[in-house]
Amino acid sequence: MSKMHVTTTVNGDTVEFLADPRETLLDSLRDQLGLTGTKEGCGTGDCGACSVRLDGTLVCSCLVLGVEADGKRIDTIEGMSEDGALHPLQRKFIEHAALQCGFCTPGILIAAKALLEENSNPTEEEVRYWLAGNLCRCTGYDKIIRAVMDAAAELRQEAA
Amino acid sequence: MTRPAITIWRHGQAGTPEPLLDIAADGRVTGYTGHVDLGTGLRTAMAQIVAEELDIAPGQVSMVMGDTASTPDQGPTIASESIQIAAVPLRQAAAQARAVIAGLASARLNAGIDDLDLRDGMIGTDAARLPIADLLTGPPVSLQLDPDTAVKPASDYHLVGRHLPRVDLAGKATGAWTYVHDVAVPGMLHGHVIRPPYAGRDSGPFIGRSLIEVDEDAVSGMAGFVALVRKGDFLGVVAEREGQARAIAEALPVRWATPPDLPDLSDIPGTLRDLPSEKRMLADRGDVDGALERAATTLTRSYAWPWNLHGSIGPSCAVADWREGRVTIWSGTQNPHMLRADIARLMDLPETAVDIVRHEAAGCFGRNCADDVCGDAALLSRATGRPVRVQLTREQEHLWEPKGAAQLMDVTGGLDANGNFDVYDFETRYPSNRGPNLALLLTGAIDPAPQPCDMGDRTAIPPYRIPNLRAAVHDMAPIVRASWFRGVSAMPNTFAHECFIDELAAEAGEDPVAYRLRHVDDPRTADLIRRTAEDGGWQPGRAPRLTRQGQIATGQGFAHATYVHGAFPGVAAAQAAWMAEVTVNRDTGEVILDRITVAQDHGLAINPEGVRHQIHGNVVQSISRAMGEDTRFDRTGARDAEWGSYPIARFEDLPEIRAILMERPEEPPLGVGESASVPSAAAIANAIFDATGVRMRELPFTPERVKAALDGQPLPRGLPAPADTAPPRWRRLATGVGAALAGGLMASAVGLAIRAEIPRVPRPDNIWSAETVERGRQLFAAGACAVCHTAEGGVPLVGGRPMETPFGTVYSTNLTPDPDTGLGAWSYPAFARAMREGVSRDGSHLYPAFPYTAFAKMTDSDLQALYAYIQSLDPVQADTPPASMIAPVNLRPSMAAWNALYHDATPFTPDRAQSELWNRGAYLVEGVGHCAACHSPRNALGAERGGAAHLSGGMVDGWLAPALNGTGPAPLDWTEADFLAYLRDGVSPRHGAAGGPMAPVVAELAALPETDLRAMAHYLASLNDTGKDRSDAAAPLDALALDQPLEMATGPAARLFRASCGACHITGPVPSATAARVPLALSSAVHADRPDSVIRAVIDGLPAVGRPDPRAMPGFGSALTDDHIAALARFLRQTLAPDKPAWDGITEAIGRARQP
Repeated sequence: MSKMHVTTTVNGDTVEFLADPRETLLDSLRDQLGLTGTKEGCGTGDCGACSVRLDGTLVCSCLVLGVEADGKRIDTIEGMSEDGALHPLQRKFIEHAALQCGFCTPGILIAAKALLEENSNPTEEEVRYWLAGNLCRCTGYDKIIRAVMDAAAELRQEAA
Repeated sequence: MTRPAITIWRHGQAGTPEPLLDIAADGRVTGYTGHVDLGTGLRTAMAQIVAEELDIAPGQVSMVMGDTASTPDQGPTIASESIQIAAVPLRQAAAQARAVIAGLASARLNAGIDDLDLRDGMIGTDAARLPIADLLTGPPVSLQLDPDTAVKPASDYHLVGRHLPRVDLAGKATGAWTYVHDVAVPGMLHGHVIRPPYAGRDSGPFIGRSLIEVDEDAVSGMAGFVALVRKGDFLGVVAEREGQARAIAEALPVRWATPPDLPDLSDIPGTLRDLPSEKRMLADRGDVDGALERAATTLTRSYAWPWNLHGSIGPSCAVADWREGRVTIWSGTQNPHMLRADIARLMDLPETAVDIVRHEAAGCFGRNCADDVCGDAALLSRATGRPVRVQLTREQEHLWEPKGAAQLMDVTGGLDANGNFDVYDFETRYPSNRGPNLALLLTGAIDPAPQPCDMGDRTAIPPYRIPNLRAAVHDMAPIVRASWFRGVSAMPNTFAHECFIDELAAEAGEDPVAYRLRHVDDPRTADLIRRTAEDGGWQPGRAPRLTRQGQIATGQGFAHATYVHGAFPGVAAAQAAWMAEVTVNRDTGEVILDRITVAQDHGLAINPEGVRHQIHGNVVQSISRAMGEDTRFDRTGARDAEWGSYPIARFEDLPEIRAILMERPEEPPLGVGESASVPSAAAIANAIFDATGVRMRELPFTPERVKAALDGQPLPRGLPAPADTAPPRWRRLATGVGAALAGGLMASAVGLAIRAEIPRVPRPDNIWSAETVERGRQLFAAGACAVCHTAEGGVPLVGGRPMETPFGTVYSTNLTPDPDTGLGAWSYPAFARAMREGVSRDGSHLYPAFPYTAFAKMTDSDLQALYAYIQSLDPVQADTPPASMIAPVNLRPSMAAWNALYHDATPFTPDRAQSELWNRGAYLVEGVGHCAACHSPRNALGAERGGAAHLSGGMVDGWLAPALNGTGPAPLDWTEADFLAYLRDGVSPRHGAAGGPMAPVVAELAALPETDLRAMAHYLASLNDTGKDRSDAAAPLDALALDQPLEMATGPAARLFRASCGACHITGPVPSATAARVPLALSSAVHADRPDSVIRAVIDGLPAVGRPDPRAMPGFGSALTDDHIAALARFLRQTLAPDKPAWDGITEAIGRARQP
């Protein structure tokens, strides 16, 4: 099958690549564009490690084809800090040590950012349910929830 | 590289010097350790120790961890011994370097050594102070480690014991950290391994000897192919790109011998007792037999622990670069030096020719496939002479990782007349070894004979004063691959100890906490137990409290352990105590963990926040293991290949956790990596007892098992095991056009001549108007001609697609205008005769798989346009394979007779009572669209059934072609808008998405003007007017509410569904770009009379269809076993179509879908 030309916006930059029609968006990001911050955990949408945003919507990039990104906007972990300044979520994750091996962290950060844009004042319950699609084997989840709640509080303060 | 100013080294095991620490001329310090950071912050803690001894800023210290070329061999990073043991020489080396610096400063400043003080990288007296770097201008100093060097007393610490931010976190939070998965070496190729069917097994004579044949020629022409590498049972392919390697591996025909059966591993006690073992006595004090005879009360109990997965979130990965007799491996290993020895053996190299460069990987907590994949990459790199990266699939990681072993603990113990714990007779069985490297086994480099090891004895002695005690371990060879996993053998052993003492306390009528305290000698242990009980709000009781309101019972449970690791009698790491509070639903058996209070005594905490972090991680991972983890095996091997069938704890399972760090800054630091896991399962089991009076002596505590225990039934083990499981074949997104088209009744094939031949003509050239050709192109699309006349992955329109029909295999023909093999020599009359009568140009009959029965309804003008379009195509020479049909269909009179019986060649006549739109739709649907070819049932002779059966649904390629005449079981009526959406976008949110053979048809229909699609929709909707109320047909669907039963359901199948399918099919509050567009509650497939379409969709997935937002569903055929798929099918049917009969023939349907 012939390759397809894909034009997309990744973290604000216009990029073009040739995608095999079978190639997942995850493969396109990691192999074609060298954006290895997004991780592959399962390839079947079970673990959330490869979460990115496609036109603002949260998505497991292993469940989306690279060609589906044509004409769309993709946001990955590499674009989360702006001009070298960490996003409050990233700062709070570091402050709370809300990661150990860190393999699941990019996916969780992306999902958490999507949450806070939708709901700036989530309850702990809402954080848990929003992040339920992200698996973690090391940290024990608790610190992640604290970090998200704390970042949400800070963002609300900034906005006020 | 300039030589460091100061180097401290020691003699390694091979006699060569190993650096421990060096200081560069600019004052920067590098520490070397053979242990690695597993994401637990060891890199930071080790730097902290060095900085403390040298009194410099931690930022001045960097650590090299696990690179075999430069770090000392300190064995595997296991058993939480990094700080306790591996950091000792590092600390001494730092202290020795400090002494060297002091000597230099003393000479330079002419001051007494005792008058000097070293602070913040500056050394001197109050009068004069120099940066360390200023002293390092002389000749390099190289000293052997003096193990007698005095280190700083803990009372002088100002860095150690304080929170220090981890050095790795920023990189990890921004995606910049380079994991082994992210290593790229110039010129790197990609490998993909194909594992034998005996998933997860590593002993027996068949290991390394089961590969019968492999057909390299079948794949060597595929895009990107570089090499196929085979040695014994090791099989791998190398390609330019990762996706290519995967595609080649999936397409590779391989034949394996069937492995011998495994014993029944669902019966852990029976199987572990039956298999050979070597009993090793660990302790025998007092008079156990005598005490048992004299005991006032004796109890005999068995406790069983299942096989667990390490469950790393990332599948293992490695890059190897073979170059001129040396190999460099970038690896996520937890034991670099052990791996180096394995690779040297595999490649027949001296160890000095192997360099392991260690990168972090996903948290492992033991031994997963991290080392195996290094062997894979090394073999593939050597075969190709290029660097090769290999990343295992999720399925390979799940199936092949050396499991945390099952364990069986048999206990007899007793109380004396005063209720004292007087006697304990403990035997534990541990079928595990150290997990030999898989590449060594598969290639036959090592003997696959079963080998035991001695790691089952960890924490085999309970931490209580028991006068008469005997403990023995049965060392057993692994039954399936098994190796160490967090809390190795200590967690199961403690489960037995701590449940048993709880049972004794109940027998003695004493409070479980008080009873423990009364048998503890160590004051630190007593403090720990008391503090846990106090802070947890322990309510003393002499019997289970059985607190309940209705069916909801609540309880508290206690357990304690001092984790003793290393070869028996071992070394004590931190000790921990748990108090668990649970709620049990007695109706469903569901156990909710409300709160865990855990206290830990670890001596001096190097980095207290890091310790707290470890406690949290241990608590959640261990409750995950206790509550739900149990990986299962069929007769062939391991079978849980993804997170749905082996669910681990999620955010919503998190209990409230109170972590208490006992303050012991004066005591030496103790390992904290595992201790807080060890008491977990017993504390929970004891809490369930307090709530219900029922003892859970086998893990995990799933609702079904707790319910069975409450009902006094034998404990089930998850989903029933199947007799046999077909080897997985499918993976990834099924995105190819018509991935599963073979088998349809839509092809043509050439039978034997019976009618007159129509002479060949020269190919007509360019005699039609552009409009005619364009109309032909649309008709060609409306008929989806390209779908059947293109072979999988073949040249478009030249035919050759094989199709299994009930009467044999036929192949579609070449439609291009090639004069010899295609339609180039066909005149229009020959073409029209074929389309209307099913007779080929040469007079032979075409099989009715070619839907001429429908095409006969086309107008002459349309047939001419179609002919014009076909003749305008580029000719391609391609022969069609001959059909192989069974008698009597292969006889020429039979087709003529068939036509006489079943073929009506009358062209379409409009119904004047109907609108123009309706008539246009009817013409397209019944004519060129030939919808009935799939959507009508066929009789025994392969003819479409007419009358009421017309368009009442059929079967194609194992997919159900649903009824189009309103007689189907769809919950909602198909309206014109529904049909239009489906034909145009590939999906109707009220019914389903195009899958299987329908997906490429939708893709072809894109060429039609919307007016034609609307006409088809209008006509089809007219057949579907069943009189149901359609007033709300345009209302938006509440998918969340419709699929709520899926979210509310309980049981193992519901959990499997939520974990495996939930990401897209239970959206909950989270909007997701992959959220299914059709609520399963409305899916035609779920409501159909047979399960085939549901099963096919699960196994093969759905190709990307839909405009403007194409969406695919991945196939789960390789991740889910047959019994998982059957459970999912039954679950969907029961939950979403409870008013309809259960499906019959699920197993058979799965078997059909699994056929190649």
